[in-house]
Amino acid sequence: MTDLKLPPAMAELRPSLPAIVAQGQERAPYFSVLLSNRHSLEIVVNNREERVTERPPYAGTVLSAFDGLTMHERAVGGFSQADVQKAAKELVRGLQSGKYIPQDVPSRSGDFATQVRIDPLDLTVQEKLDRCRELHRRAKGLDARIVNVQILYRESNEHSVFADRGTDTAQRVQRVILYLFVFVAGEDGQVRYNWKSKGASAGWEALEFSDEEVRKVIASAVALLGAERIEPGEYQVVSAPGVSGVICHESFGHGVETDMFLKQRARAAHFVDRTVASPLVNIYDDPSRAGAYGSYFFDDEGLMAGPTQIVENGAFRRGITDFYSATALGIPRSANGRRQDYSRKAYARMSNTFFGPGSSSLEDMLAQVDHGIYLDKWSSGMEDPQGWGIQVTCHYGHEIKGGKITERVFAPIGISGYVPDVLQSISAVGSELALEGGGCGKGHKELIAVASGGPHLLMKARLG
Amino acid sequence: MMLDKITQALKARSELAGWSVRHIITREAQVYLVGHQVEAQRAVDDERYRIEVFRQTTAPDGKPGMGVGEISMLPGGNVQAAVDKASLVAGLVANPVHSLPAPAPLPDVPLLDEDLKKDSLGALKNVTDGMLAAASKHGEVRLTSAEGFAEVNTIRHVNSRGVDAEQEMTNVNLEFVLQSKQGDREVETFREFGRRRASDLNVQVEVDHNARLTLDLMEASPPSNWQGPVVLRDNALVTFVAGDHLTAGVLQTLGSASAKYAKVSNWEIGQSVFRGEVTGDPLTVWANRCIPFGIASNRFDEEGQPAKRVELIRDNMLVNFSASQRYADYLGLSPTGAFGGVELPPGKWDAASLMSKPYVEIALFSWFNPDNITGDFATEIRLGYLVENGVRKPFKGGQLIGNYLDALADVRWSSETGFLGHYLGPTTARFGNLKIAGD
Repeated sequence: MTDLKLPPAMAELRPSLPAIVAQGQERAPYFSVLLSNRHSLEIVVNNREERVTERPPYAGTVLSAFDGLTMHERAVGGFSQADVQKAAKELVRGLQSGKYIPQDVPSRSGDFATQVRIDPLDLTVQEKLDRCRELHRRAKGLDARIVNVQILYRESNEHSVFADRGTDTAQRVQRVILYLFVFVAGEDGQVRYNWKSKGASAGWEALEFSDEEVRKVIASAVALLGAERIEPGEYQVVSAPGVSGVICHESFGHGVETDMFLKQRARAAHFVDRTVASPLVNIYDDPSRAGAYGSYFFDDEGLMAGPTQIVENGAFRRGITDFYSATALGIPRSANGRRQDYSRKAYARMSNTFFGPGSSSLEDMLAQVDHGIYLDKWSSGMEDPQGWGIQVTCHYGHEIKGGKITERVFAPIGISGYVPDVLQSISAVGSELALEGGGCGKGHKELIAVASGGPHLLMKARLG
Repeated sequence: MMLDKITQALKARSELAGWSVRHIITREAQVYLVGHQVEAQRAVDDERYRIEVFRQTTAPDGKPGMGVGEISMLPGGNVQAAVDKASLVAGLVANPVHSLPAPAPLPDVPLLDEDLKKDSLGALKNVTDGMLAAASKHGEVRLTSAEGFAEVNTIRHVNSRGVDAEQEMTNVNLEFVLQSKQGDREVETFREFGRRRASDLNVQVEVDHNARLTLDLMEASPPSNWQGPVVLRDNALVTFVAGDHLTAGVLQTLGSASAKYAKVSNWEIGQSVFRGEVTGDPLTVWANRCIPFGIASNRFDEEGQPAKRVELIRDNMLVNFSASQRYADYLGLSPTGAFGGVELPPGKWDAASLMSKPYVEIALFSWFNPDNITGDFATEIRLGYLVENGVRKPFKGGQLIGNYLDALADVRWSSETGFLGHYLGPTTARFGNLKIAGD
């Protein structure tokens, strides 16, 4: 029996859900209930202060009634049985049953929990604070130019229970992420900074920083004091796994969310089974990837998690879906219906999105570059699913000269261009896959936890 | 009443040096459209209490310290357990001692759309109906999707020093996508914005403007390299100067006392905010939470500080940091409260004169998000124009490259001003020398 550590109010409401679903289905062809509780803790330790904050919890019930055309929803804060039953009655009042007949899906039931070795729920806040202090202590005195070192720890403990006609599932998803930020000042007083993060669906066992990793973060921050702006132009580049990931995320991640197909906002809709990238390119979204930051067992619409191959040997195969868009488009669902929290609508969203590994070593890829750029760290990206433009900003990159990475640093570096041009230019794919956890918005809102990544990639890109 | 229970429980705790509670009630209507079809319609109710407790603690060096514990709870939650937990957390850290805001008169900042308060779904449907009607007038452009959100927020803030304040505010947010198609070529524009009042959305004007941009995008080709004057107007200018809700913005970051205390801002009061010579108009900026119906306005902020209009920068010199009580105490400053909206004075140039010689205008960014500490940016251009000899040639792609502060050191501002959500100031600016990396 999986111990979910369900909050008591959720556990108390769960047995009533079949009756609430049955009552809802008297008026609505499809009716579901999601109980969602997201509790999070944040700890900040820096040279000047410390903060421990219990982030505002998002705890509430989503009642969904679909009539074949419109998804009617009522979101109620908390898990009061009386409030939920009342809201369910109000939601379906006046709904016409209509002709819509929901697809039969196999019955699903079960309880699932993230595997953790050092469970954040078993550690006291004091113990977590001490772990953050220890990392801070290891970093803060390592260079005289450091003006501040900040440790930021976030844990998110997410419980959800989903019920519809054939489903009774519950999950506990435990996410942790730890950031090390280093701020340095030059002789002119200008401040530069660098960071490294470790995030996972796991416990504290995933958050260990080696001394070498700490020293590298500081060395890169110091190197940024002498960074130059890059001369705009097209370059041969080798992207680090994190940069590969954000390219993947913004291009054939956001670009294949099928709610955008329905809204006619995704150019990819016209490219199913057509070549969009080099034959070396494979792209996946996989919420079932054990330990990855964006993982879960079922999505916010009750579908069990599994991998989706989006691009296969350079050909676009399929998108990732939510319930509404898959139903409207008549395509198979994938487990990507996700909500920011109970107060928001479900959309087709990514989970863990990444380029599949190839067979090249980093050394082999660098050896093919006489003059180019190693894109080391990304800072932001923005999607353009209709125009297939690309905007990825890298915090910094290094010069590659004669097949070697030099100490010459450029910052920041913007990558722009046309997505298929960039993906078609990929001429080598590294063998080692790495994912980075973080947050993702849909346009400018709807923030969720995701991971993205890939191996090193050798390609051509316009930099500025 | 739950709030009374919480305050009674807090008053009974002798170990606490202070506390505050925010009772937040939110009602929201949401409408999602695919074309003219309602994809989803949602109603959201939320109520919560945000509790902050302060404890005297002792730093490792023996000096008096202070810890803060924050916790949120839902109605019907266990008050004693929540206070216990917050108090326990507050006892774990020892930051320098600071005070809480004291009671003070609150300005009367208008924040409420009465119609929206009475019927948020009805008000929202009026907005979306207006948007659909406006879009239907454009034959070559169609609205493919839209989302609307109308929210009523009631916040009561009490603290151990006697602050007891309440504010009610509304927000209405709209996003829509316009597309145009000619043969195989399809283009779209996306607009997302919010106001406190539905009438301030100016839906007809927004749809008409974005329809024009959509048609121009159809004609756009990749840009060539450019270095020289760049003009920004209206929404593009607001995004550049004041940031968007995803990023705090350079002014808000470097002008904050918390960043100064953390030593990540190198700004000094009485010194220029620029790193070099100022060749454009002198810069004056207010951090203003009193802009009527401004989306960053309020009567009091999260700490309970009354809204103020704070002179941040006067003629290029930093005058004040934006400071919460805590960081004001740490740095020996007067507290100003949260930053609020960005206000700039009218410039001395009429907009037409700023657009008289050849220049590039950027109308749409992919996402303008400069590094908020260094000010450096490299951002993709969704739509721009090369304007020469009275001809506006649209382009798409390439990157605008530069540094935020260097750009503001070489800019001329228009005398025409406008209110755009979290910005009040000139509606046109001509930056003297920015670089565009073309394709």
